Amino acid sequence: MDYSWSWKVIIHSLPMLLAGARLTIRLTCIAVGMGIIIGTFVGIGRISKNKLVYALSSVYVHFIRGTPLLVQLYLFYFALPALLGFPIPPMPAAIISMSINSGAYVAEIVRAGIQSIDRGQMEAARSLGMTYRQGMRFIIIPQTFKRIVPPLGNEFIALLKDSSIVSVIALEELVRKGYIIMGRTFRSFEIWTAVAFLFLFMTLPITQLVNYAERKLQNND
Amino acid sequence: MIKVVNLKKSFGDLPVIKGITNEIRQKEVVCVIGPSGSGKSTFLRCLNLLEEPSGGKIYFEGKEITDHKQVDINLFRAEVGMVFQRFNLFPHMNVLENICLAPMKVRDLSREEAETRANLLLKKVGLQEKALDFPDNLSGGQQQRVAIARALAMHPKMMLFDEPTSALDPEMIKEVLDVIKELGKEGMTMVVVTHEMGFAREVADRVLFMDDGLIIEENSPEQLFNHPKNERTKMFLSKIL
Repeated sequence: MDYSWSWKVIIHSLPMLLAGARLTIRLTCIAVGMGIIIGTFVGIGRISKNKLVYALSSVYVHFIRGTPLLVQLYLFYFALPALLGFPIPPMPAAIISMSINSGAYVAEIVRAGIQSIDRGQMEAARSLGMTYRQGMRFIIIPQTFKRIVPPLGNEFIALLKDSSIVSVIALEELVRKGYIIMGRTFRSFEIWTAVAFLFLFMTLPITQLVNYAERKLQNND
Repeated sequence: MIKVVNLKKSFGDLPVIKGITNEIRQKEVVCVIGPSGSGKSTFLRCLNLLEEPSGGKIYFEGKEITDHKQVDINLFRAEVGMVFQRFNLFPHMNVLENICLAPMKVRDLSREEAETRANLLLKKVGLQEKALDFPDNLSGGQQQRVAIARALAMHPKMMLFDEPTSALDPEMIKEVLDVIKELGKEGMTMVVVTHEMGFAREVADRVLFMDDGLIIEENSPEQLFNHPKNERTKMFLSKIL
């Protein structure tokens, strides 16, 4: 055991790693943002009385949650272009597959959130002559948002870590940057330690924020 | 005003309403009494189609509302106010917003019109100074009075009350019943499911006694409470009076 730890390697590779971390955050933010939009609609679809809407949203949720993100990424990056006849560049492929992945998880969060609202709320809305849609929009969804902030934070953290998977299609996010620097310096211990801590620096503040939001929302309930 | 013909309702295999025929006339105050599980609340909830009847017909002002092709359920519901046992105020909105929402969204009132209406109603239920409070900061009795104001803001032709005082602490029951009484005096058509026999006796034009999914006996409160004819009515009244 005469491995000599080199701070120099870390300092030199830090700008590159930070650039990778920036892409990691960007990808995750876009994917979760899209995921919230997709998930809101699909989550409502999952409690729909319309059988077709229910079936379609259920198939989507089960397929995405039942298969690895890596396979979904390959489907969009390799399989779909073969079908379409033109290539999909890594960035769009990564954003699409991560958004669709996130959408399924957010859908379940939204569904659980909606179902946690007291039935009497919708009944009160309907008894005043509001349509189901109005009841959802003005009464149920606004109350749901408050309750799903903590699980959404957890979804953000999970996806942020899982986003490292897109390194396999040569997108230079944090993990891919680590590979590249490793190839040049052969300093695996320093590099992967630095990568691990950079992930930790990103996820810890979000965890804190989620905890804070949870406490704050509990007080208001 | 509203007529029910052979109304039936089952939950799965369990029949809850087993064939009710009755008519509530304009400006009439009808109280529905009976033991728990007798189907009182389900009957009331069928009247504005919160529960879809399993059989029978309901007519409102001569139109069959159980015929979905003929009648817009939402328009019908806007004409019938409902007050729930557990208030069901919207907790993410203040009192004023609770009252104004439906008139603005369903009746297309402007915010000013809706707020004018709301403030008038709040005054009527004695809560004008609570307009900007949130429901969670009000007592049960205050919340229920807001719920009544919210229903009245749609200018309904009829009001349904589903055990409006059952979730209240004893000292708050009177303030809510007084508001309902006042409405009755003004000529509002009302159906009230209640356990408050004193209230029923004082306010009702007619009392329905329900048991086991059927109306067993109906009469003026004086007759029903003092000279019940049916054995089951007698037994029920002997237990509670």
